[in-house]
Amino acid sequence: MSVLGGFLRAGASFCQSAGTLLLTARTISTGSCCQIRMHAIPQPKKVDRWTEKRNMYGVYDNIGILGDFKFHPKDLIMAPCWLKGFRGHELQRLIRKKKMVGDRMMTLDRHNLEKRIRFLYRRFNRTGKHR
Amino acid sequence: MFRCSLVVCGRGVAKRFASSFSSESALPPNLLLPSNLVDPARLKRPRPPADCSLPLLRKCDAVVPAHLSPVSAWVDTLERRDGEPLGLAQLHPDVFAVPPRLDILHHVETWQRNYKRISHANTKIRSEVRGGGRKPWRQKGSGRARHGSIRSPIWKGGGVSHGPRGPTSYYYMLPMKVRVQGLKVALSSKLAQDYLYIVDSLNIPTPDSQYLVDLIKHRRWGESVLIVDVGEEFPENILQATESLKTVNIIPAIGLNVHSMLKHEAVVLTLDTVKFLEEKLLWHDQRYTPLHPFRLPYSDL
Repeated sequence: MSVLGGFLRAGASFCQSAGTLLLTARTISTGSCCQIRMHAIPQPKKVDRWTEKRNMYGVYDNIGILGDFKFHPKDLIMAPCWLKGFRGHELQRLIRKKKMVGDRMMTLDRHNLEKRIRFLYRRFNRTGKHR
Repeated sequence: MFRCSLVVCGRGVAKRFASSFSSESALPPNLLLPSNLVDPARLKRPRPPADCSLPLLRKCDAVVPAHLSPVSAWVDTLERRDGEPLGLAQLHPDVFAVPPRLDILHHVETWQRNYKRISHANTKIRSEVRGGGRKPWRQKGSGRARHGSIRSPIWKGGGVSHGPRGPTSYYYMLPMKVRVQGLKVALSSKLAQDYLYIVDSLNIPTPDSQYLVDLIKHRRWGESVLIVDVGEEFPENILQATESLKTVNIIPAIGLNVHSMLKHEAVVLTLDTVKFLEEKLLWHDQRYTPLHPFRLPYSDL
């Protein structure tokens, strides 16, 4: 009886849930099956730190200061044309997109864009504390 | 309680027993060494002494402030695998011996990672999801909860109310002088930690990449080397040699940046590169604030 009590206390220190289950259920286990079941610990994924892209990352970022200011680092950015060298919240981005690219867009996308601009304008300027 | 303490004492005794039998230098099999452990055989090469017999190949072009003195560095050659240094070069202290501002390095590194980041994550809102214009069932009498459309955010397959919207940009620019100071701090840190090497030119005898690998291993330059040279043309041999190597990379001087310097362990500059960098980086210490962008012509520059 004391041996069983000792086993139960040792089991509780390893895993709380299994221990509490055993304590509340007061079952006697005669076999040696492990109550804890989990998947094998997954292997960490192998990442090659020296690919061409990772080697050359960041090159030409100082092309302005080291290259006579003929180019600016924002010319290096690969982005849609309305986002090159621009940062803004959603309404500002959508307005800029409509200004620069709106006449080239598909009708459904343009319609959704206009609806979203109208919604955000009303939300920012007519609701809440700041107007 | 007594049983647990007995078990603990037994385990401690067993450990001491095992260590007294094994030799002092035997490493335990489950030892985890950090991956960035520096090779202990790589001794720091002392700076050239003041009374060195080798010729001074380069003096500082710009005026060195009176309270500072130029830093001297060895000038090596790539022509022979195990050659002695050719001479000395003097480096300007305001570029190669600035105080190590790690916070500036951090700011410049995060700027380099983020300013060109465009996140293309996009989710559809309830008005953009296909369908959902009609009221699914009548307001009262059906017994079910009241709903106005099947694409509202609480429905499965409905729109996302506060999700990422469209391509987002994280562009911002650090002040020019902060970026310049970042370059200076990076160069100074590399020199101070003995990872900066100066070479007279990039002519190597063979286009064989094994020659470069042997040279780097013999001279214990480090695991990865960044070679920087001024000019658009590079010697054919070194281009061919570095083409197949992953950890040895060659870039023009215009492409120098803090991220590449931190990624590669050793940085190799030519004498022309040192002159170019000093000229470009020292100008910012004594320039006027720009009235218009520097890409537009100034009468006195």
